[in-house]
Amino acid sequence: MDCSLARTLVRRYCAGEENWVDSRTIYVGHKEPPPGAEAYILQRHPDNRIVSSKYTFWNFIPKNLFEQFRRIANFYFLIIFLVQLIIDTPTSPVTSGLPLFFVITVTAIKQGYEDWLRHKADNAMNQCPVHFIQHGKLVRKQSRKLRVGDIVMVKEDETFPCDLIFLSSSRGDGTCHVTTASLDGESSHKTHYAVQDTKGFHTEEDIDGLHATIECEQPQPDLYKFVGRINVYNDRNDPVVRPLGSENLLLRGATLKNTEKIFGVAIYTGMETKMALNYQSKSQKRSAVEKSMNVFLIVYLCILISKALINTVLKYVWQSEPFRDEPWYNQKTESERQRNLFLRAFTDFLAFMVLFNYIIPVSMYVTVEMQKFLGSYFITWDEEMFDEDSGEGPLVNTSDLNEELGQVEYIFTDKTGTLTENNMEFKECCIEGHVYVPHAICNGQVLPGASGIDMIDSSPGTSAREREELFFRALCLCHTIQVKDDDDVDGPRKSPDSGKSCTYISSSPDEVALVEGIQRLGFTYLRLKDNYMEILNRENDMERFELLEILSFDSVRRRMSVIVKSATGEIYLFCKGADSSIFPRVIEGKVDQIRARVERNAVEGLRTLCVAYKRLNPEEYEGICMLLQAAKVALQDREKKLAEAYEQIEKDLVLLGATAVEDRLQEKAADTIEALQKAGIKVWVLTGDKMETAAATCYACKLFRRNTQLLELTTKKIEEQSLHDVLFELSKTVLRHSGSLTRDNFSGLSADMQDYGLIIDGAALSLIMKPREDGSCGNYRELFLEICRNCSAVLCCRMAPLQKAQIVKLIKLSKEHPITLAIGDGANDVSMILEAHVGIGVIGKEGRQAARNSDYAVPKFKHLKKMLLVHGHFYYIRISELVQYFFYKNVCFIFPQFLYQFFCGFSQQTLYDTAYLTLYNISFTSLPILLYSLMEQHVSIDTLRRDPSLYRDIAKNALLRWRVFIYWTFLGVFDALVFFFGAYFMFENTTVTSNGQIFGNWTFGTLVFTVMVFTVTLKLALDTHYWTWINHFVIWGSLLFYIVFSLLWGGIIWPFLNYQRMYYVFIQMLSSGPAWLVIILLITVSLLPDVLKKVLCRQLWPSATERVQTKNQCLSVEQSTIFMLSQTSSSLSF
Amino acid sequence: MTWSAAARGAHQPDNTAFTQQRLPAWQPLLSASIALPLFFCAGLAFIGLGLGLFYSSNGIKELEYDYTGTAGPGGCSACALADRGRAPPPPCSCAWHFSLPELFPGPVYLYYELTNFYQNNRRYSVSRDDAQLSGLPSALRHPANECAPYQRRASGLPIAPCGAIANSLFNDSFSLWHQRRAGGPYVEVPLDRTGIAWWTDCHVKFRNPPPVNGSLALAFHGTAPPPNWPRPVYALSPDPNNTGFVNQDFVVWMRTAALPTFRKLYARIRQGNYSAGLPRGSYAVNIAYNYPVRAFGGRKLVVLSNISWMGGKNPFLGIAYLAVGSLCILVGFVMLVVYIRYQDQNDEDEDEE
Repeated sequence: MDCSLARTLVRRYCAGEENWVDSRTIYVGHKEPPPGAEAYILQRHPDNRIVSSKYTFWNFIPKNLFEQFRRIANFYFLIIFLVQLIIDTPTSPVTSGLPLFFVITVTAIKQGYEDWLRHKADNAMNQCPVHFIQHGKLVRKQSRKLRVGDIVMVKEDETFPCDLIFLSSSRGDGTCHVTTASLDGESSHKTHYAVQDTKGFHTEEDIDGLHATIECEQPQPDLYKFVGRINVYNDRNDPVVRPLGSENLLLRGATLKNTEKIFGVAIYTGMETKMALNYQSKSQKRSAVEKSMNVFLIVYLCILISKALINTVLKYVWQSEPFRDEPWYNQKTESERQRNLFLRAFTDFLAFMVLFNYIIPVSMYVTVEMQKFLGSYFITWDEEMFDEDSGEGPLVNTSDLNEELGQVEYIFTDKTGTLTENNMEFKECCIEGHVYVPHAICNGQVLPGASGIDMIDSSPGTSAREREELFFRALCLCHTIQVKDDDDVDGPRKSPDSGKSCTYISSSPDEVALVEGIQRLGFTYLRLKDNYMEILNRENDMERFELLEILSFDSVRRRMSVIVKSATGEIYLFCKGADSSIFPRVIEGKVDQIRARVERNAVEGLRTLCVAYKRLNPEEYEGICMLLQAAKVALQDREKKLAEAYEQIEKDLVLLGATAVEDRLQEKAADTIEALQKAGIKVWVLTGDKMETAAATCYACKLFRRNTQLLELTTKKIEEQSLHDVLFELSKTVLRHSGSLTRDNFSGLSADMQDYGLIIDGAALSLIMKPREDGSCGNYRELFLEICRNCSAVLCCRMAPLQKAQIVKLIKLSKEHPITLAIGDGANDVSMILEAHVGIGVIGKEGRQAARNSDYAVPKFKHLKKMLLVHGHFYYIRISELVQYFFYKNVCFIFPQFLYQFFCGFSQQTLYDTAYLTLYNISFTSLPILLYSLMEQHVSIDTLRRDPSLYRDIAKNALLRWRVFIYWTFLGVFDALVFFFGAYFMFENTTVTSNGQIFGNWTFGTLVFTVMVFTVTLKLALDTHYWTWINHFVIWGSLLFYIVFSLLWGGIIWPFLNYQRMYYVFIQMLSSGPAWLVIILLITVSLLPDVLKKVLCRQLWPSATERVQTKNQCLSVEQSTIFMLSQTSSSLSF
Repeated sequence: MTWSAAARGAHQPDNTAFTQQRLPAWQPLLSASIALPLFFCAGLAFIGLGLGLFYSSNGIKELEYDYTGTAGPGGCSACALADRGRAPPPPCSCAWHFSLPELFPGPVYLYYELTNFYQNNRRYSVSRDDAQLSGLPSALRHPANECAPYQRRASGLPIAPCGAIANSLFNDSFSLWHQRRAGGPYVEVPLDRTGIAWWTDCHVKFRNPPPVNGSLALAFHGTAPPPNWPRPVYALSPDPNNTGFVNQDFVVWMRTAALPTFRKLYARIRQGNYSAGLPRGSYAVNIAYNYPVRAFGGRKLVVLSNISWMGGKNPFLGIAYLAVGSLCILVGFVMLVVYIRYQDQNDEDEDEE
């Protein structure tokens, strides 16, 4: 019911695509229209082959490679690799080629496998048999051979092979039921209607005799929108023209239910079906961490280029003396001598680039990807986020945004279904000021008749009684509910008297609650049969109303109507909708009493609806019919025309009464909101509900507290004063307080601080957002943002779906660029879910649209707490450490290399052996950081949940600020200096073995490398707060692996190598006592500053997290020993 | 680790400690109370170690003499003057006289040192063919391209051993003479020219090509010595076990140094009367001055040094240990002060909360 938003959105994006020909014409069964009919342009349509695969067997390798190298990082590494291949560079191309090859291969295999699966699925789909009619006979063909215009037969429980216009069904009334579970996730049955003039064709022969053409719009991806027209040619008359809408369209991917078989004509096939058009993926969201990472990358790229430049320049300065450039012991070849100086300099520059290129490692991308992918499993695995009732767990639709969950500053939440259960219960109704409260159902037993009604006022008179019954009938008739019948489609309904209530299905839970409530008040809706709605009145008599028109609900009008004809021939229009949309259209009725009651109910947090009616005389009805028909047949702007028609029809109503439905808060919603607010997150509620209801919910879920001063920015207030005055007044109120308070109080505890809550409604918002004539549009927005910033909670009510997205965008683009999160459960929340940095869908009752379009989906609102405060926090600290550590360890790796150039005549000599260069990032230091970034818990899960304020510690990308980044970089430079000069002084002018033998340059490099591997790994060990056996295993395991590898690498003459420079180097180094001593010394010195910084910061300026850590440590000292002892046995089995 | 839980959503996730992130874990905290004792202990240990290293380094004697001959009155100036042009300089010899007032305890090692010589220059250090040096007959006659311009002679003959490193083999030689009494005769001190290279290098990594008819010279038939060499590789030493590619001088030279100033082991003195060291008296080192270094501004030194368990004289390690040890203690005290002063404050803060 709330798809209009998705519709508008999609329409916006797709407009202009198919403008070349507005519509297509289809000859049903490929029969030419009789001569004299309009001439149509014949168009070519694709066959019904679905191609979701990206590659074919032949183009896989080139296309996949092309796609992969379009990523800037891969391209960079490819360039480095090519440079290494082409020019004479210090390192062999293997060092960068191997990791790149590895990454590319793994990705290609993954994508190839996925594509193979898609091929398989495509084939299965394209080859599955389809029945269609040829010359009056049923023929089976493969699905892919289906063409536009073919008439298809589909049996029960089959899926439709393409988009069909529903011609006829085996059901007499020309309806069928479908589920669109695989399209939009809604598993409820939807009714579709056959074209009126063709529903009589029940057999193959009949249908073959059909002579018709269909005109419809070109394919477009909106699942819920379709306009078309069918011309049925009879022998004698002019063609009959009928409008076609989405109710006549059966979509590919939907499944036929409860109907034996249907006939339909294919109008969109293959890649033009709405399902295929919806394959297009959503736009990519990028997290703040990723953005900082890219900035850091650019910084490092600059460092890399400047290093290469410095060395190139120095090299030529240094070489200016000829005995340095070409001493007698190291002469050049003729060709080298003759090379152009600039070419040589450029080659040298490239060679230096290659030498230092490891500062931006390939493996970082792989590790980050793996961390995100594997890490996201912890959300899906989380038992506490599993909802037993619905059997649903959290879903992760993208793992790119894991860490963004730890950065959220604004939460925009939907109310209905998100904060509340969306489990509606009919509370009361008010008819002309009399209030009726149905008794609760006891054990499913419906209390009969009038005894179920409490008369609050005196018993009504006869005219009032008439009104009362009219009210009940109105509620019984004005809805779009289907009655679910499990065993027999057309069989007789079980009487409700037997004690069994029937199951109602509707996309709106309010309707179900109302119809069920009315059932308890004596009127039971039975079913819709042959366009007659059957209801059972209090006397158990069946009343039949012919359903003439449904003016369906949409969220802009916020009401719906039905036009019915009673058995006595009277025509009624019943209208039901939000009070704000009903009251202005009412001309009669006890408006004031009802309004008072409605407002009272709204304050209690009940959802209210008003019911009105109008009696139509046949002439009026004729007029209405004409109006509607004209609008429905229109091919262009049909929706707009329909809306105008509805506007004209739904007026001059007589108010009957109002209903109140309670929507209970979700469990722990209040607790969750409180925790989120403590975490420094601003929570905004965006709802379509009326202000009073929404405000009551906000109080109930503690978004507003008793001491919250409410500021109203509503239409009512703006009517009194101008918008300008209201805004300035509010901002003065707000700023008076915040002005006297420093910004620190924002993070501090605001017990005595006045906090404000803002209520704004949709109309006021659109006034603020609307650019003013004089062009100074930004002014009000800024003012509004200023007010919002100072309010602890904001409630936006009466919001149209698109306005929700607008609000999110407004905040997202405000000058602080806060990270926003939108959570909602319905289709009306999709736009804001897509707009916000992180979109979370609640897997709710209103279908799965929101969950499908979200980045993450949770079963309940309360799971948001753990999602953000625990998972988000963990992901953020993990990935930020991952990013910083990766840069750090590569500074450590490359900076000694840079320093070495000063001692080797800037000749691009490598310090480390090729194997070390290649494996440093791939195997010696990769696993510990990956596992750290999966397992780290700097404080325990329970602490994080108990103390939401810890979330503030990481707000605003705290761990990736420039200060932190510079600290890490300098730590890396310091460590590199220690490694290099430690080894330098060690080797300078002396022997370090006890047998007097001398070490060479490879021993020097190996010493630096050994110290580095140990330091870098131990630095991570220092940062690890959570040592599971896995951490122990990978940290000590990688060190051990390094040693074993070095022993092996140096211990054997490797036949495939053309140099044996590492032979016995490592072993010889270990046989020297001073080498051991210097390794220990250098590791200690390298780690010292970091240890010092950690200890001093913890002692002098502890963050909240560190305080908690210390406190927990003190508490658990005694317990932990016992715990550890008891766990030793179980820990091994985990 | 149950990866089957990857089936998302529909089923209840596995409840294992791993999937719920509740694996038992050790949660250490680097707080002042742990770091303080650590710093003091480390500091004390380092100072102790540093003192030991410092004294053991100080106990090592080292005598060095710069015989480049540019400055000073030494006898090598004449040779240095002759060393104008490049290869091959005329044979020249000079000597370094010194006297030891007391025993120079053994074992004594004789090194030569070169400065400003970039053995670690990339073009230089790749200019070798390890396959050729491992005695592979095919590689012997087809030296690797990296060796260029020392790959083949102008005549087309392959150079063995090829490359810049081999070509620039250090070819000064030293002999040590001892005069027990003033005016007495000089006795030659025996220099052990073996055991100066890594055992693995001259027994595994470097191999001569298989001799042809029992003759190493024939095995090298069809190759030319490097241009700077006066004699072919198989004639490097009269000792058949120490000639060709496995000649220890050659092997030592082929292990390229890390820095432009480097020492290489020339000989060990451990035989006869000199196994305990060099007794007191006058000594002379006779130097056959062949190697040109002044062209690139280098210097040549000859060094006599004895060695402890920690190698040669190297004050760096001891001083570094002492410095780091004292730093640890100092930092420890600073932290102690901070700890005592701010501990109370933190406690108060917590009380307030």
